Amino acid sequence: MENFIEQWLPIIGQAIIETFQMVIISLFFAILIGVPLGILVVLTRPGQSLENKFVYQLLNLVINIVRSIPFIILLFFILPFTKFLVGTTIGVQGVIVPLVIYTAPYLARLLESSLLEVDSGIIEAYKAMGIKTHKIIWSVMLREARPSIVLGLTIVTISLIGATAMAGLVGAGGLGDLAYRFGHLRYEVDVMYATVFILIILVQGIQSLGNRIAARLKKD
Amino acid sequence: MIKLENITKVFPSKNGNVTAVNNVNLHVKKGEIHGVIGYSGAGKSTLIRLVNLLEKPNSGTVTINGTELTALSNENLRKMRQKIGMIFQHFNLMKTATVYENVATPLRLLGLNKTEVKERVEKYLKIVDLGDREDSYPSQLSGGQKQRVAIARALSQEPEILLSDEATSALDPETTNSILDLLLKINKELGITILLITHEMSVIQKICDDVSVLENGEIVEQRSSIELFTDPRHKTTKKFLDTISQRKLSASLINQLKLNGTVTSLTFIGESAGEPLLAQVIEKFKVKPNILTANIMELKNGIVGNLIIHLVGEQDQINASLTFLNDQGVVTEEVEGE
Repeated sequence: MENFIEQWLPIIGQAIIETFQMVIISLFFAILIGVPLGILVVLTRPGQSLENKFVYQLLNLVINIVRSIPFIILLFFILPFTKFLVGTTIGVQGVIVPLVIYTAPYLARLLESSLLEVDSGIIEAYKAMGIKTHKIIWSVMLREARPSIVLGLTIVTISLIGATAMAGLVGAGGLGDLAYRFGHLRYEVDVMYATVFILIILVQGIQSLGNRIAARLKKD
Repeated sequence: MIKLENITKVFPSKNGNVTAVNNVNLHVKKGEIHGVIGYSGAGKSTLIRLVNLLEKPNSGTVTINGTELTALSNENLRKMRQKIGMIFQHFNLMKTATVYENVATPLRLLGLNKTEVKERVEKYLKIVDLGDREDSYPSQLSGGQKQRVAIARALSQEPEILLSDEATSALDPETTNSILDLLLKINKELGITILLITHEMSVIQKICDDVSVLENGEIVEQRSSIELFTDPRHKTTKKFLDTISQRKLSASLINQLKLNGTVTSLTFIGESAGEPLLAQVIEKFKVKPNILTANIMELKNGIVGNLIIHLVGEQDQINASLTFLNDQGVVTEEVEGE
């Protein structure tokens, strides 16, 4: 046991750091793109303040197309785009682009459903008080949707962890890659078990944290 | 104060167009409480949303305090709305915000500074009697308290007009009364003109100066509340009155009584309610009145009493006694069977 820890701790530690790097950076950019995208989808809906059939259907189409492609295929499919954007297709840098493109539309969809859950009566009340639309979005809709948004972000984060496991294929490292290379290709079953164990703890932890924050934000 | 002229609103639907509001003219005077009563589907909610243009009319004009809202740009309309408060059947409060934040958020978004916001929130929460519940969340409040928060939120913008969209329809009778008292107080002490819609005649009875009866998107009767209660003309108005007074008798009973004599409804207003007129009738005309139903309603601006009597005697004596009663200010109406 001691031997095992001594031999693998630095490697596993490194993999955990890489996984976290990928998840945090991708999540950051995914929020940057996904949140406005989700808001736009809600606002251009029929009956909403910026109603626009063309934009609404275009956004829906784009989101659905991206969401139809499995990550492992998306990863290779957009290689030229990744190369163009960050100059490389390998390493953590190379994998961030596909991770963001994979996650942002998903986030937008979850945000859309969170925002649509907000009682339309509240929005009407604020409209009747003569408050500007963008202020209603920020201070009323996003605020009221917070518990549901937090749960959505939790789901997105966990699915990102899953996607980073495939990132090993472009040499980005991480826990999934460790389990695959050492555990599967080199028959170091213990490493596989240890990695899976860490992943379980990680996912459990994130889900519990998300649930707890959402429960605290929810007041009814 | 509020003037709707020839307002029509049509909603397109799969089965053709639905006219929710049809050529409505409505005039609400400054300082009054004006009630619009109608059954569900009569177009009440649409009508009240046409006042602050949450719904845009297909034709007609909305004028408030001399400003024609229907001619304003979106930006100016937004500013105008800040002077028109609105409360709703389901309160429409933010669930994730405390009572304080629910009142403060709109003020903050309208650009008031922190001290002004605090002053106003405290002032208006006190007016609605919730000064001690600042830190509660809506889920911890009763329906009546939630409506009070919504009223404080509307008042905190210091509007000249308050629109009430079925504000008491989700509340029990006792809570309804306390909210109505609050609306009366607001009207009286702050001088805010109130336009409310309701399906409850008791709301009209208790707080309205003027009433419009809405049916199928059209106003079928628009008069002062006292007139409406003493001399209802339209059959819908009469039906609404029947909901609060016990004056509906069965057709078979009336038919039976009419075999001998006549059945008449007598409505007394204000002063005449106190006079012993029936005693005089018995003495003068030798007729025998038998009281079938009797009730008295306290309106905001007076008292209305109503009797349904069975009059037996000579036909010309009956006619003479009815004329006498008319002369004394009593509204008489023969009650028909079927």
